[in-house]
Amino acid sequence: MTPETLTPEHDGPQTAAGFSSVAAVFDPVFARLEHWADLVERYAARPDRIADRADLDPLMESLVRREFTDSEGCVIGAGFVSAPNFLGWHLAWWLGGQNPAVSGLPATGIRHLETVEDPLDESFRDYTALEWWRVPEQTGRRHITGPYVDYLCTDEYTLTLTLPVYRAAELIGVVGIDLSVDEIERGLIPRLGADGVSVTVINSSGRVVVSTDTHLATGALLRLPGLSEHLNDQSGGAPGLPAGHTFQWCGQTGLAIVAGPAPS
Amino acid sequence: MPQSIRAGSGTRAAIFAPLDGAGRAELVLQRLTDAIVLGVLHDGERLPSEAELARQLGVATVTAREALEILRRNKLVHTKRGRDGGSFVTFAGRGATDLQDERLVAWSRVQVRDLGVHYSAIAGLAAELAADRASAADIENLERILDRADAGTADAARRGQGTFRLEVAALSQSARLVREELRLQAEFGSLLWLSLRDASRRERCQAVQRATVAALIAEDGARARQLTVTQIIESIEWLIEAKSLLELKGRSTMTDSTATVSTTAVLPTGAPA
Repeated sequence: MTPETLTPEHDGPQTAAGFSSVAAVFDPVFARLEHWADLVERYAARPDRIADRADLDPLMESLVRREFTDSEGCVIGAGFVSAPNFLGWHLAWWLGGQNPAVSGLPATGIRHLETVEDPLDESFRDYTALEWWRVPEQTGRRHITGPYVDYLCTDEYTLTLTLPVYRAAELIGVVGIDLSVDEIERGLIPRLGADGVSVTVINSSGRVVVSTDTHLATGALLRLPGLSEHLNDQSGGAPGLPAGHTFQWCGQTGLAIVAGPAPS
Repeated sequence: MPQSIRAGSGTRAAIFAPLDGAGRAELVLQRLTDAIVLGVLHDGERLPSEAELARQLGVATVTAREALEILRRNKLVHTKRGRDGGSFVTFAGRGATDLQDERLVAWSRVQVRDLGVHYSAIAGLAAELAADRASAADIENLERILDRADAGTADAARRGQGTFRLEVAALSQSARLVREELRLQAEFGSLLWLSLRDASRRERCQAVQRATVAALIAEDGARARQLTVTQIIESIEWLIEAKSLLELKGRSTMTDSTATVSTTAVLPTGAPA
């Protein structure tokens, strides 16, 4: 599917099942982001033309529009965010008709996100400091940010998937998709279930994305002895969790799966 | 996605969110007035066009026009014709102070206290949940916000408090609490934190913000909630005291047949806004 399709590094019966479930939900989204990144990279690499938002924005809009019509509500926002040295401070970002703030629009309507792009404006904020930019910039890889309440944009409980875009070795931006956590839950929970086992998908802060354990709310921090050692250790060599628990990173997404005995 | 691209744009989104129910022109008027008085819409800022405003708020164009007309009469916006024309916010601090005072006098003590109860329910639980759910990175972000905060003026302190409360609400991970926090800030923020006109209250507010962050670090939800609720109660009591003084002043000036009343002139401890 993509060069970076999720593959389990070692199998545990519960984490393997969880792994393929997480892959089934996120791999297709990352595949589309790879496609967008590829198109933007090809656009930026044209030898004789200067990159211009007047060209790139319509290109992104046509890609993004398809996303909203195909996704059945899962996608709440999508687009390309430019590095300041590429198109200046710029978000080519669109929101779907699902957004309650634009409920007056027809269901197929999308709207461009307006932001302050003038660094001298008092309201301007440097997005390159934010996790969805910072992590892909540092690692050169895909990343999943959240879950978080996106109160500046849609008020939705959101996961943001981003992928860096390069011109030669230079970072020129990230492509990204915001997914509704509600929809992720609907997609994941039915696939995670296993008798006597509770399976929890967490992010790299240990925050619960979804869990089959009734006592674990999405958004809560999973508190488990030894978990933070696992989260700080990308090599997989951290000491064990309490008996009966397994830990598994989901490729390079920043998500991990913890399985353990279901509470009786 | 663009979390924190624009500080305060969440409250802006709440301002332009669709309205439902009766009395829409009044609601449009109230919401825009509050936004201007609160400083969410800045002096000199261009408002959306009548048609755009109507579309965003989900009201008829005539309703939006009516609200804009009253805003013009209240000298909160002015309209320029021509190519660069439109409705622009004309907000001078003086007019805002009078408007806030008028509103405070118009509200009953019961209404003011009930606002405090409602806001405590939202902000208190948000703080309690945040203590359980904030990661180390979240705490660092909050601390950065406090380090950058400016409490030099009432407006700056109010914006700072709005940002802080919104960030804490976001840490609760509850979309409903965040939406309610935004709605309450957009509709009542200017009234609720009127006490920040007072320099000593501004200092105290910052101290409470620091103490709240310490409670979040200690994962002490009960303490975070208690600090939040106490801060709101104190602000409400300041409002009721200010209201009493305005009413006293109003009664005496009525006999003096003088028209205007302002808390900045009469508050016992209040530094002028």
